[in-house]
Amino acid sequence: MALEIPKVSYSGKIKEIVLGKGDKALTVGGETSYPFYLFEGQMPLKPRIAMEVYDSPPEDWAPTALEPFADVASDPVAWARKCIDTYGAEMIALQLVSTDPNGENRSAEEAAALTKKVAEAVDVPLIVWGCNNAEKDTEVLKKIAEDCAGRSLMIGPVTEANYKQVGAVAIGYEHTVIASTPIDINLAKQLNILLGNLGVPDGRILIDPTTGALGYGLEYGYSVMERIRMAALTQEDERLQFPMICNLGKEVWKTKEAKQSRDEAPKLGDPAKRGVLMEAITAQLVLAAGADILIMRHPESIALIQDMLNDLLAA
Amino acid sequence: MSKIICSAAIRGAHNIVDKAEQKYQEVLDKWGPDHPVGFPNTAYYLPIIYGILGVPVSKLGDVRPVLEKCRSLLPPLVSEKVWLPYLAPTLEAGMATFFAEEIIEAIRYLEYPDFYTKQEDPIGGNIWLGAADDIILRKRGVEFVDGTAPGFAAILGAPPTKEIAAEIAKELQEKNLYVFMCAENNGVRMSEQLVEAGVQIGWPTRLVSFGPDYTATVFAMGFATRAAMSFGGIKPGDFRGNLLYNKNRIFAFAMPLGPVSDEWYANAAGAINWGFPVIADTPIPEILPTGICTYEHVVSNVPHSEIVQRAVEVRGLKVTVSKIDIPVSYGPAFEGERIRKDDLYLECGGGKTKGVELTVSRDLDEVEDGHVEMIGPDLDQIKDGSKLPFAMLIEVAGRQMQEDFEPILERQIHHLVNYAEGIMHIGQRAIMWLRVGKAAVEKGFRLKHLGTIIHAKYHQEFGAICDKVQVKIYTEEAKVDEVLALARKVYEARDKRVDRMTDETEETFYSCTLCQSFAPSHVCIITPERTGMCGAYNWLDGKASYEINPTGPNQPIVKGECIDPVLGKWKGTDEFIFKASRQKFQTASAYSLVHDPMTACGCFECIATILPLCNGVMIVNRDYLGMTPCGMKFTTLAGMVGGGEVTPGFLGVSKHYIASRKFLLAEGGLKRVVWMPQMLKKELEAKLKSRGEELGIPNLFDIIADDTKGTTEEEILPFLEEAGHPALTMESIL
Amino acid sequence: MALSGIEIFKKLPKTNCGECGVPTCLAFAMKLATGQAELSACPYVSDEVRAEIDEASAPPIRTLTIGTGDRAVKLGGETVMFRHEKRFENPPGLALMLSDTMDDSVVNEKLSKFKDLEFERVGLILRPQMLALKEESGDAGKFAAFVKRVIDQIDAGIILMSDKPEVMAEALKICKDKKPLIYAATKDTAEAMGNLAKEAACPLAVKGSGLDEVMAITDKLMGMGLKDLVIDSQPVNVKKALEDQVGIRRSALVKKVKQLGFPTITFPGQLTDSKMKEALIASLLIAKYAGIIVLSEMEGHNVFPLLLDSLNIYTDPQRPMAVEEKVYEIGGPREDSPVLITSNFSLTYFIVSGEVESSRVPAWLLIKDTEGLSVLTAWAAGKFAADTVAMFVKKSGIADRVKHRKLVIPGYLAGMSGELEEELPDWQILVGPREAAHLPAYLKQWSA
Ligand code: SF4
Ligand code: SF4
Repeated sequence: MALEIPKVSYSGKIKEIVLGKGDKALTVGGETSYPFYLFEGQMPLKPRIAMEVYDSPPEDWAPTALEPFADVASDPVAWARKCIDTYGAEMIALQLVSTDPNGENRSAEEAAALTKKVAEAVDVPLIVWGCNNAEKDTEVLKKIAEDCAGRSLMIGPVTEANYKQVGAVAIGYEHTVIASTPIDINLAKQLNILLGNLGVPDGRILIDPTTGALGYGLEYGYSVMERIRMAALTQEDERLQFPMICNLGKEVWKTKEAKQSRDEAPKLGDPAKRGVLMEAITAQLVLAAGADILIMRHPESIALIQDMLNDLLAA
Repeated sequence: MSKIICSAAIRGAHNIVDKAEQKYQEVLDKWGPDHPVGFPNTAYYLPIIYGILGVPVSKLGDVRPVLEKCRSLLPPLVSEKVWLPYLAPTLEAGMATFFAEEIIEAIRYLEYPDFYTKQEDPIGGNIWLGAADDIILRKRGVEFVDGTAPGFAAILGAPPTKEIAAEIAKELQEKNLYVFMCAENNGVRMSEQLVEAGVQIGWPTRLVSFGPDYTATVFAMGFATRAAMSFGGIKPGDFRGNLLYNKNRIFAFAMPLGPVSDEWYANAAGAINWGFPVIADTPIPEILPTGICTYEHVVSNVPHSEIVQRAVEVRGLKVTVSKIDIPVSYGPAFEGERIRKDDLYLECGGGKTKGVELTVSRDLDEVEDGHVEMIGPDLDQIKDGSKLPFAMLIEVAGRQMQEDFEPILERQIHHLVNYAEGIMHIGQRAIMWLRVGKAAVEKGFRLKHLGTIIHAKYHQEFGAICDKVQVKIYTEEAKVDEVLALARKVYEARDKRVDRMTDETEETFYSCTLCQSFAPSHVCIITPERTGMCGAYNWLDGKASYEINPTGPNQPIVKGECIDPVLGKWKGTDEFIFKASRQKFQTASAYSLVHDPMTACGCFECIATILPLCNGVMIVNRDYLGMTPCGMKFTTLAGMVGGGEVTPGFLGVSKHYIASRKFLLAEGGLKRVVWMPQMLKKELEAKLKSRGEELGIPNLFDIIADDTKGTTEEEILPFLEEAGHPALTMESIL
Repeated sequence: MALSGIEIFKKLPKTNCGECGVPTCLAFAMKLATGQAELSACPYVSDEVRAEIDEASAPPIRTLTIGTGDRAVKLGGETVMFRHEKRFENPPGLALMLSDTMDDSVVNEKLSKFKDLEFERVGLILRPQMLALKEESGDAGKFAAFVKRVIDQIDAGIILMSDKPEVMAEALKICKDKKPLIYAATKDTAEAMGNLAKEAACPLAVKGSGLDEVMAITDKLMGMGLKDLVIDSQPVNVKKALEDQVGIRRSALVKKVKQLGFPTITFPGQLTDSKMKEALIASLLIAKYAGIIVLSEMEGHNVFPLLLDSLNIYTDPQRPMAVEEKVYEIGGPREDSPVLITSNFSLTYFIVSGEVESSRVPAWLLIKDTEGLSVLTAWAAGKFAADTVAMFVKKSGIADRVKHRKLVIPGYLAGMSGELEEELPDWQILVGPREAAHLPAYLKQWSA
């Protein structure tokens, strides 16, 4: 008697979302099963990885993370080009950390001008990520949305505090919103409802469930993502049937262990390999929980994940 | 709809369509059917025609079928004798009016290409801007979506003087509304009045001088129609979708200033289709009952000084207050400050003086929004270290306001006032206690500012239920006594009402799923007689929270058919639980501990469980740290029953629920309770005693054992036996 | 379906004699129902009842232990597919593969590194606990000697790997007291290996290609009376490995397939030549149900992240991890450095200490025991109340270590500042930012 593995019957499907425009546009979503459970459903579109580019020269980065970008670290446009030309990035994520009012506090105009330059220099889909200060992000993302009208950016984080303002420009200037909530399935759903009510079309919403780094609360986001997928696929929770995005690179690389040198942590092995593995493992886990888009830093961890994706999605 | 309005509107529509036809014939003869026609720089053709009919008009030949459509929409002129239901035909006449006017304006662009400036501002002497192009639409439309501009006032004609014009414009601007102006009143136009008064007009100041004639109304309506298409994803030709989008989202209204002509009536009728009411300064017939518009359709004869406020009310526009204008800092960081004796400038209430605060609801016309009145001495009129009697009377009005929400708003006073730096607030109702520090007074803080805070925060946080807020603060003994007397009456009535409310009298219960963040399948069903297990949410809170935040964690549940009145099961609640527990649980009893009890989250105030030997139930509260007769401490129990699981024999309960008539009805109610910690018993003493009376066991309170009687079943059983506790002779609890 | 506490209680003697270690039968029943006690602790249940309860409360996946003493590894006992549904019970054992054909020096070096791989985190010691000793020489004597050499050097959960029963028999003679896992019975050697396992009273791994073959073998072994089995389904690629793990767990849980109700053993190194990728495959297997993961290499840089992975995934979602209550020194604080206080929820601790560290402002971080609750929850539950916070601050001795008297409390708890000032009259209470991310900015402008 051959074993029949009991199958889950999936009644839902993740919406397909087009990222970017033109030849290099990508589509994510479309799943009809839990991540990589190809024996009982489909995952027709591969999860995608965006490479990080920072709007100001990195401070305090682990040498291994900085090394690949050392020559372009103070030029975001060159940085973005290098990601594409040298490392084959299929997407770019511009991290606007310098707009933080508690930091450099660069103006919305500067941020928009820079974003525009980067947007013009690359043809792959472009994610623009604010500084996580709802008020400032509103100002910055509004300006960017206007100045990059029609470029189909992914802009975020859009939160309950600023969804109206950012949602409105996203509608008006045709961008995709990254709906960001703090590790909570109900809040995620609520924000999606609110965005829908505002008029943001379903084809332009991504869920950011909030991602913690390996060893730093990863499990919370992991379980919320699993629950979101479960609700979307088996409980017909239509407002959760959106692809998920995880901005994980910066979380991983800011942890102590990703940065420590061999001298500081002799028991933790090769610092370069350790950092890469910490990032790649974080990525692998959120993929297993349902991520569709990853924002990552190190070319090697990205290569490792691409390799795993190919294996897991092999025909 | 009033017959006068209908006949006038239909007459006006006929005139306008006639005019359009005549104009059309002229240009057609001149340029032929292939000549391009339209508004500049837009992908929406003639937007109303495109949005409503789905017809893209790009050359003169395309106009013909539209005019035919106008004709077919036009109802016959109303005769003196026949009385028909006029609403529908009049609205259709209004629609035809807009199509015809768009054609007239499009022809104007053809004949006089430079008639309008075609940009955001006036150029030189030409103040007429004409249709907004797509760039303006996008930029400005975003403001309509995100709420920075909630809507617009479409003004036809002009008020009597340029001063009034400037005043009205300013008031509308203050409400963040766009002012779209067109048409003349006896040769006077509001746009021109504003220029004369030195007011800057143009899109950037939101005072938009669309055009000199009434036909320019279509620029306003076209703007709204395009907004629905570009921001609402409404397809061209989906007229229903378009009109509904505008009704629900664009807070616009028409404001005819001056005598209303037939043509104006026709335009007004058109606007009503979009859900935009008409507020007039002349005595035209009113159409008050609601239908197409959210509230009234036509309100007339409104004095100029009140017209903006009235318009805002009729359209249901929410006031937004972005800044709290007080001289001290304001924010959660100051919530817990204490004002010490040495820093004290003024003290009110707290047993030292009389003190009371009260929030009541009133009718819309009884409240003047933003009105803050100080009756009696304020801080600058008293000495350092004073004490004063204090009363704060907050009057709230709103279309969605209900008396039931009064206590909820009132409870907010505490933390809202505490957020102010240098102010300390404790308690509520007639036991409130207020301290103002010296530093705050030095910075210029006055008691009056309490009103400013309440006004702003009520709007900000409870905008869904508060349309208008006014605050009166009294520090005169006699006045305070008056408010106190009123408050006592209100409190009594409130308490009675809550008391009278039962699970049978209400058809709707509320859910709470706030705790799902850590207990994934947990659902609290909150009924009038059963509060959420944390004790923080009662039925009224659930109701208000839903009104304020309709997509939040508190959702209404229509209880539906009762499946079992003793267990407390209803069809509606079971369906809800199935969905909200994400299909983990099919059913739950509201009143049982043994049969399908509710899930427990982890933040319950108390846990109830069975004591088999005593055939009863024990309850332990979170604060009691000792051992209990079930052999487990609170923390052990909490560890076993939380996490959104159902654990028969164990139930999370709020303190309030213990004294409810529905408490564990299925197990026999309060009579089953054989043990509680003494501290919990004391806390609930009054309520438990009166429940005992009700149950016909006046000594019930005394025969419930507590930790002074014992903390094992064996220890308390003799006590219960001696006292003759009813549980011992009840049916077996297992 | 497992029995509820009440149902179990009904079957107990109801005498509240307390011999089981808890005061009442009800409390004991609850412990049984939540898997925190063994039925054998009550001496008064009849055999009949015992069988009934055992049957109903036995987890669908067998719980078994490999090794003895300190490094014993408990596996199995899983009851859910997703950790949020309850929790994952026993984290996978990470094993280092060593072969009897390796040079002694290599083995020694690997072993000494292995011993070194020990990390403290949230009061727990994280370390790999197992060694997989593989026979590749074909020589029973050599293998036995190798096993002996290893177990003399180190105390770890041992996996003996050989396809040859006669080789295995020799090795078992040396270490059966250590309760090693015997790897593995194949369809050809099931009987012989089964007998060895039975005699030695050791757990036995089953190796079959694909689940059907595995089931045939486990079925046979169960027939022989063996209970402690471990499954290796020999997947050919990563995709299949995932499918097998899900298939095994789901069959056991949902369909109650007894032949698959065992923990699994996996070899990510068989699926790739790259050590980095091996670690990545292992990371996925940790999340997706593997019982033992055998690695071909163990270095700090791959083991540490994998241990974190396992710690994260196996954290009980309903019982937050807590760190120790004490004063933490960050960046070498001095007597004029800021003093901050927060809860002992591990995530709070990690995030706050991380931000303080990245601010490069040395600081004293007071961590108060809140039973692992986050700041707001702890406050709501009375575990971060002014009086208890004050007590902790006093007994922490921080007053002797700093000159100033300024205490920064979490922004969300601004509400308690007044009360706390009353409890700690010598101290000035400062309200810190609400979000940890704003700590660096806050600390940079802080002055004593
Ligand atoms: S316990 Fe309170 S907060 Fe939690 S779900 Fe119930 S009512 Fe809501
Ligand atoms: S030992 Fe048995 S009889 Fe005694 S209390 Fe425990 S469960 Fe009850």
